[in-house]
Amino acid sequence: MSEPVPLTTDGPGQVASATPPARGRSPRLGDRGLAVAFISPALLLLLAMSVFPLLWALYLSFTDYSATRGGPANFVGFGNYTAILTSAQVHTRALTTLIYVVGAVSLQTVLGFTIAYLISRRTHGRGLLTTLFMVPMMLSPVVVGLFWRFMLDAQFGVVNSMLGSIGLEQVEWLTRQRTALVSLIVVDTWQWTPFIMLIALAGLTAVPRYLYEAASIDRASEWFRFRTITLPLVWPLLLIAVLFRAIEAFRLFDLVYILTNGGPGVSTETLSFHVYKVAFLGFNTGTASAYGILMVLVVVVLTQLYLRYLNKLKEG
Amino acid sequence: MRHPKLTGRLSVPGRKARLATAAMLLVATTMAACGDGQDDGDAKAGAPKAPATIPELTKDPLTLSFIWFDWPPAHALEDFANAEYKKERPNATIKVNTVPNANWHDAMFTQFAAHKTDFDIAILDSQHIGEAVTNGNILDLTDFVKNNIDVNAYNPYLLAAYGQFPQAETGKRDENASLYGLPLLGDTWTMIYRKDLIGDKPPQTWDEMISVAGKCQADNPGVSGLAFHQANGSDAAAVTYNTVNGIYGGNLWDPKTRKIDGVLNDAAGQEAMDVLVNKMKPLTAKGSGNWFIDEVNAAVAQGKACIAFNWIAASGGLLDPKQSTLGTTREQILDKLGFATLPSQKTNLVPLGGMGMHVSAYSPAANQAEALNFMKWFERPDIQKKWAAAGGVPARTDALESPEFLNAGPFNKVYADSVPRMRDMWNVPEYARLVDIENTNVNAALNGAKKPKDALDDIAREQQSVLDSSGRKGGGGL
Repeated sequence: MSEPVPLTTDGPGQVASATPPARGRSPRLGDRGLAVAFISPALLLLLAMSVFPLLWALYLSFTDYSATRGGPANFVGFGNYTAILTSAQVHTRALTTLIYVVGAVSLQTVLGFTIAYLISRRTHGRGLLTTLFMVPMMLSPVVVGLFWRFMLDAQFGVVNSMLGSIGLEQVEWLTRQRTALVSLIVVDTWQWTPFIMLIALAGLTAVPRYLYEAASIDRASEWFRFRTITLPLVWPLLLIAVLFRAIEAFRLFDLVYILTNGGPGVSTETLSFHVYKVAFLGFNTGTASAYGILMVLVVVVLTQLYLRYLNKLKEG
Repeated sequence: MRHPKLTGRLSVPGRKARLATAAMLLVATTMAACGDGQDDGDAKAGAPKAPATIPELTKDPLTLSFIWFDWPPAHALEDFANAEYKKERPNATIKVNTVPNANWHDAMFTQFAAHKTDFDIAILDSQHIGEAVTNGNILDLTDFVKNNIDVNAYNPYLLAAYGQFPQAETGKRDENASLYGLPLLGDTWTMIYRKDLIGDKPPQTWDEMISVAGKCQADNPGVSGLAFHQANGSDAAAVTYNTVNGIYGGNLWDPKTRKIDGVLNDAAGQEAMDVLVNKMKPLTAKGSGNWFIDEVNAAVAQGKACIAFNWIAASGGLLDPKQSTLGTTREQILDKLGFATLPSQKTNLVPLGGMGMHVSAYSPAANQAEALNFMKWFERPDIQKKWAAAGGVPARTDALESPEFLNAGPFNKVYADSVPRMRDMWNVPEYARLVDIENTNVNAALNGAKKPKDALDDIAREQQSVLDSSGRKGGGGL
């Protein structure tokens, strides 16, 4: 066999000058030029859709610009950032968001892992069960919000109707401070537990069988096998799933908008919902941009810390 | 390792050239995304003027687009306009684009912000006018109105409420002020009461109304005494509080000094909040803390409320036997349901609802001309009467007093009687934020998340801060 032409292997730049262009191709367009030509549309799209808005938002965050009022964008330094970081309104929304993220992600992790563990132990109907459990995740959050709003309606909802049929009192799920945030956590958990389940199931399936067989030979208990084999091997994958869910939960908007509209009062207003109000009720574009940038920073910093922990775990 | 070699092979000028290309790409993208920047630089405070006379209209097919929220009057307008306006302008088609009520303000003003609208006529709430005028989003119709509209045919306050900026004093019109819109649909609250449960005569005072509702609730298990707007979206809970505030002699603000703190939460304001939270709320259904127009109508139609309050323009469905459990015919329903003007207490004020027509400053010239022509046509006496017969609420006095209007619905007389009693909210550019503050706090008080006094004090303090921070550098909007 002759040596393969290294055109499509690594280091295309190195061979570009040595390999003559294919027949029909302009002799001036080398492999590098061709590569640039192919990636340019994607690069331009990325610049236009992601990089530019981010940079533009960063610029606006230092100004008092308003999208509706127009006029020049006056530089205000760190005024927007200071106002956001010292605002009691923002602190309230941050606490609400924190409670929501911790509550929803914890519940989803416990439930998702439990379901995945139970499914992984079945030999029959595993595929069907997994598919059925994944249905909520495939629905639009707005659709989920709308039908849960009907189900949780205090007067006509099916949930209160069921409670009534077993002699329990009606609960104001969406209009009381104590229950509204819990309702949001429950609905989010209903929709996103399958995501954790799916990742956990992938981890559980990848655990080598021989480890369990060796443990069986040593007459290890079920709990011992779970604690020393299953959990340590699935844990890193589960943590990645938790990271994804936490980021998603941190920017929750749609369920709040449909289910409670932030109420009662502002007790279920998350940071994202508050940014929406700042951006579109008062059209304070500069402040909203700073708010958005700060939220991105929080996610980036927390993710970095989390990834470092994951790496340490991997090295350990 | 080939990559280090590859990198090493690249000459420094080559890398610089690539970096320069990337930078140029970024700048080009920025320029493309920003446009030429002319819009920002040339942004004018204030609205551009509409021509005093209607320019020549196009003979080509043209679609005149409106934007409104999704409710029965929007569909009625589209049907009515296509049936009647086409008789005069066969090449014109009317399209009323609708959005959910909660997105109404955002849908209009995000397009205004882009300086490009897919509508020619924005149907603005009276309180939106200040924001639209200040940002130059709608045309100044003052000269057009002078030449084309008989202003004496209207109750002055109705004409002012749907068009004038700066805002008119309650009940009056400033003839020297500019007009930016013309009335499309008048509206106010009506009291809907169950004649079969509380009798034919509606309560005359607010205290009496609460007492009657309480007795009705006690006598009829499963039926709540009251149903009214409490939701924290749109202006639901805010309008409810403002209504009770007005009836108990309170004021929302002092427009001359732009003072809210100390005015809204004075003794009358506190009494109104106390009445709303401690006397009215206990008479509502459990879980009604997020009710708005549709939920109140559903409660009435299903016979679950003794007395309810709703906008007149949204009450037509209550007489539809298909949507009601109160009777199988309109007459049977009307045997049980009565419609009355709001009871009075210390004052007889009622909330001003309804909307006006406003021409988008970003609409093409041919569409703006057609929009002006449509508005002139719509305000004609014969068309106003036809609009009344089609289910609309006109603004011209002759149409309001006409049998076409008064006989079109049992609540129309309520509207005609309510016109001299109307009071509006604040019509300032900061309206959207003011109403959000009031909505969330009243909703919190109604649902036990805040004490009534704390909620009212918070409204006054936060609203005052919004008005005071108009010229603030940075951090606005929090």
